This record gives sequence, C-alpha cells and structure tokens, in this order.
Amino acid sequence: MKNTYIIIAAIVVIVIIIGGVFAYIYISAPAKKSTSTLAAATVNGAGGTLVYPLMTVWQGAYGSAEPQITVNYNPVGSGTGITDFTKQLEDFGESDAPMTAVQYAALPSGTTALTIPISASAVVPAYNLKLANGTVAQDGLKFTGAVLADIFLGTITKWNDPKIVALNPGIPLPDTLITTVHRSDGSGTMFAFTNFLYDSSSTWASQVGKPSTSPAWPSAPAQIAAPKNAGVAAAIAETNGAIGPLEIAYILENTGQTSLYYGSVQNAAGNYILATVTNIAAALQAGAAAGLPAGNAAWTSVSIVNNIFNDTAATTVYPIATLTYALVYQNQNYNSRSYAESAATVNFLSWIVNSGQSLGKGLGYVPLPANIVSVDDATLKLITYSGTAII
Amino acid sequence: MQSRLLRGDTILKILLAAAALFIIGLLVALAVELYLGASASIYKFGPAFLIGSKWIPNENILGALPFIYGTLLTSAIAIIIGLPISLGVAIFISEKLKSHQTFGYLLGTVVDLLAAVPSVIYGLWGILILIPLLRDYVERPLHNSLGFIPLFSGTPYGFNFFTAGIILAVMIIPTISAVSRDVLNAVPNSQREAMYSLGATEWEVTQRSVLPYARSGIFGAFVLGLGRAVGETMAVTMVIGNIPAITANLFSPGYTLSSLIANEFGESSGLYESAIIEIGLILFLVALLINVFARFLLWRMTRGTQVKV
Repeated sequence: MKNTYIIIAAIVVIVIIIGGVFAYIYISAPAKKSTSTLAAATVNGAGGTLVYPLMTVWQGAYGSAEPQITVNYNPVGSGTGITDFTKQLEDFGESDAPMTAVQYAALPSGTTALTIPISASAVVPAYNLKLANGTVAQDGLKFTGAVLADIFLGTITKWNDPKIVALNPGIPLPDTLITTVHRSDGSGTMFAFTNFLYDSSSTWASQVGKPSTSPAWPSAPAQIAAPKNAGVAAAIAETNGAIGPLEIAYILENTGQTSLYYGSVQNAAGNYILATVTNIAAALQAGAAAGLPAGNAAWTSVSIVNNIFNDTAATTVYPIATLTYALVYQNQNYNSRSYAESAATVNFLSWIVNSGQSLGKGLGYVPLPANIVSVDDATLKLITYSGTAII
Repeated sequence: MQSRLLRGDTILKILLAAAALFIIGLLVALAVELYLGASASIYKFGPAFLIGSKWIPNENILGALPFIYGTLLTSAIAIIIGLPISLGVAIFISEKLKSHQTFGYLLGTVVDLLAAVPSVIYGLWGILILIPLLRDYVERPLHNSLGFIPLFSGTPYGFNFFTAGIILAVMIIPTISAVSRDVLNAVPNSQREAMYSLGATEWEVTQRSVLPYARSGIFGAFVLGLGRAVGETMAVTMVIGNIPAITANLFSPGYTLSSLIANEFGESSGLYESAIIEIGLILFLVALLINVFARFLLWRMTRGTQVKV
C-alpha cells in the first residue's frame, strides 16, 4: 500500500513539473507582432523538386515578413504536384513542365488554372574526362545541340569522334568510350534538356519523341541513370569519360567541392556559351520577349528553349534555360476555402515573384527578368474570391 | 474476487485479439489499396504486364519483367555471397569463441551495430567507396580473365547488378548473422555434450548436432535477410545504374522493382502512376511468395522432427 502512495505521489510531481515547464514556455513566449493586415493562415504547396532548396529559403524569409502565415511545401515531384492540384488538395501546385492538354482537360469543370513562372534554371553538359595528354578536361569543351543529341542517341560513342574533334580543335581528345549519365527519376532538368535535343535533331525527335520529365532514353553503349542531381553528379565524377545533363544551380552551389567540369553549348547566333547567371537571365528575357500567354490561357507549348532556338539576334543567350511554374486556381472560392487562405496564397506568390527572386542567387537560381515578373503580376491580379479580385 | 479476475482476463483477451486482428486488417487494407491504385493498369495491360520487357512511359508501353528480373538477380547474388559468410560469422561467434567470451561479445555487438546502419548510408558508401574499389580491383580483372563467360561479358563501369548484389550482401550479413548467432546460442549444451561424449570433433559437433537443431531458426534468419534484400531501395538505387535490362551480364546496369517506385512515382500521373502502383503490388506479392515458400520448405524440413516452427 505504501508503495502505491509513493508511485502516485511521484506521478503527480512529474505532471506538475512538466505542466509547469509548458506553462512557462507558453507565458514567456513573446507575442508575434505583425504590422500586416493579413489574417493568419497556412499556405500549402506541393510539386517539383527543382525549386525545393529555394522554397525553403523563401519559407524562412517570408516567415519573417509575415509571421502569422505559415508556408508548407512538399517536393513530391511535378507529376504528383499537378495531380494534387487537380484534386484541389493544395493551395498551389508546382511543376517543372507546364500542364499538358490532357492535364488541363482533367481539371474540375468550371475551374481555370493560372500558370505563374516562379523561378528558372538551366541545364549544362557536365563531364569528367582525362585527355590524351594526361590532364583533366577543364570547363568549356564546345558542344552543339546536334552533337549532344548524337551522343545521347548512342551514335557518337567515343570522345575522339570527328564531330567532337571538329568543334574542339587543339584539345587532345582521347579514344575513351562515352558513358552517358541521366536522371533515373523525373525532372524538370531532363524536360529542358530533351526539349533542346528535340529541337536540335530530327533523329532524336523521331526516335525519342516529345520533351518529357522522364524521357525514353535510347540505349547507348555505356549508360547510367542515377537518382537526383547529386546521383548524376556522383556517377559522372566516378566514371572517366562520362557526360550528363546537370542543373546549373547544382554546379554553382558546389563550386570547389566537385571535380565536375561543364561545357559550353552553341546558341542560335552560333556562339558557344558557357552558362552563367547573366547569360541564362538573358535567355529568359529573350524567350519571354517572344511572347508568353496570359496566365489563364494554356501554357502547354510554352518553352524558353523553343523561343530562343532560332533567335539569331540573341547573341549572348545560353540556349538551355527553363522556367518552373506555380499553379493556382483563378477563382479561389472552391471547397469552402476561406478568404484568409486565398489572400495568404496570393500574397505569398506575389512576394516570391517580386521580393523573393534575389534570394536565390546564393543557391545558383537565376532571378526572373523584369518582363516575366510583370506577366506574373498581371496574372496574380486575375485571381478572384467570389468575383472580387484579391489584389 | 472471482468476477474481477474474469473481467480483467476477458478485457485482456479482447485487447490482444484486437491487436492481432489489427495486423491482419492492415495487411488486407494494404493489399486492397494497392489493388485499387493499380486497377487502371491491371485492366489495361492484364497478365501481359508481368512478361512485358519494355518500359516506355511516354508511349504507354509498360512491362514489369526487367524489374522483376533485377530484384530476383540482385537478391540471388546477395544470398549466394551473404549466406555462407553470415553463417560463418554466426558459427564462429557462438561455437569457437566460447572460451573468449569478451571478444565474442564485442564481435556480436559490432554485427548488431552494422545491422542498425540506415540503408541510405550504405548507398552513399557504395557510390563513394565501393564502386571504384569493385570496378577497378574486382570487376575489371574478372572481365579481363573470365570475359568469355556470359556472366562477366560486359565492360564494367561500376553501376551494375554485381555491385548492387554485393551491397545487398553487405547489408544482409549483419541481419542474418545476428539472428543466427542468437539461434545457435539457444541450442542447449546437452546437445553438444552428447556429441562430444560420442567422440566427435568440434566441426562434427557443429555440423551434425548444433546446426540441424537450429535449422528452423537459421532458416528464419535467411528469410529475414532475403526479405531485406528484396525490399531494399535506396542503397540499390544509388549503385545499380537504373536502366531496365534483362541480361545474363552481371556488369550491365539494371533496375529493381523498389528502385523504379522510388525514382519514378513522384513524376508520374494517370496510367503511368497506376502501372507503378501495380509494380508495388508485384513487389508486395513477391515478398509474400518468398515468405510462403520459405515457410513451406521449413515445414517440409522439420516434418517428423520434434522441432516446431
């Protein structure tokens, strides 16, 4: 009996201590001061992985600007992002490729989806090659779209193939077999790269088909698929003679830590461009200047790669640049959403498109040029709640 | 007093029964959910999905055979390499180290720790260390000397079935060893003493008395290891090359059921997504079949003996 009393007393003491600690934390937590007029809400998004590192930076910075709004982002992949968006499970969807006609048709009847580019990336051909004179090939090996297509088709199999040698005179290219590396999981990077190859080579277009986040890669003599940019980078770094498409953000973020080198690609004007933030931004500007659809129209055929592919006047642009898009419904009053949620979603999207762009530089993301930002701002003004515009 | 005891017992029985039924219910719910998700693909492709060898999502040409082949091949390599080593470790610790208790204990603890390492760490170690090592010191020499055998006929680049099989072997050795060691320790000493008294050598004692007694337990350990090998995702995805292929060449890149799901599910939608869920259903059934088959074998092995599983 005495033991029972002791045990009960012990439990009571523990409960009091834990309760006291919680009470202390609760009482002493400073009330979050907010000068904003926005009501508290949670914004949920899901979609592609390309923008995920930048999204975490945005969550932090936006959380400081608007502490009463919590933003959650789930990098499930573009396909699931669009599926969830169609099922109206999220406040906004995110995708590395614009919605296809089939996906537009699958939207709930009576709804209109708005497509809003929120960030951009570029794809570079990264390689790991020991040259015939024993040194390692540095940045800047020259490639054209046609040569890249032939390499990934398996038609060009060795590094000293005449077509590659012709582009790079003076570089002692060895008789090494080319190992092609690509993503095993779906990716916006692959979408942009296959878009470029589709435009550059009719053989690629007929054999592999339309650009896709998970294309049907032709079999090359030596071929590796690895998950995520990190996997592709590791596979290239491990294998002498490997070449593969990598996202520029990954390389810029990891300079000095990887032994990866990347090549320059020829643009429509005939210049060989080594990707930098400047020339990618120029590509986005030129691509958007060719005309982007209204936010509530179909964006299926939007492609920066296509827009600048034949633009001979754009001399300094890097040819393989791509946008990544947020998807949001034009009329926000669906599924008994509150006005607060809708206003928070629109406010967040507006913030990332304007104030958030400069935050990506440290991670290698290219800020959207002014002409795309103004298209986005116009699209955001289209969003209504029960007929009244939110912005 | 009586009714209090009975009530407590009844409540306990109900709770335990509920827990057991919950597990069964979970299994059934899992199977049903998988089937529902895969139904679009099952309806479209039918049984041809299991023998289809092409995987081209853009054109809706989908077949599961390369992935089933990859899973079975890598698991087979893992078992062929891992099982003898695991048994060796287990026998060594439990039989030979009887006189060196501390060292046996230390070795046993290390094996347990290895079993607890997360699989993605094995994947990282695989890419950074194992692949260059295997490629240059094992696969290339094998290819150069035994290249006429179909198994070793391809040029090795490190990302292939062989490397994936080795990594799986490394991962299941701790699992099988740990369980086997416990099983062997549980064999009563009377068994060993009886054999010694008949004049058997140490190895004969192990081979003829301890191992047969522990047969069912070791088999259970083997099934556990095989289950881990079949389902292993991250470590395999990082080193197998992820190209669907059905070939005897161990040095070709390949693809397994679990790697496919990990890689492609996020970006998929519609029929493609349904096909990937069907792949998940197949993996589920493969694991189930292996377990059922193992149980059947075990029943046959222990039929007529006093050991009950």
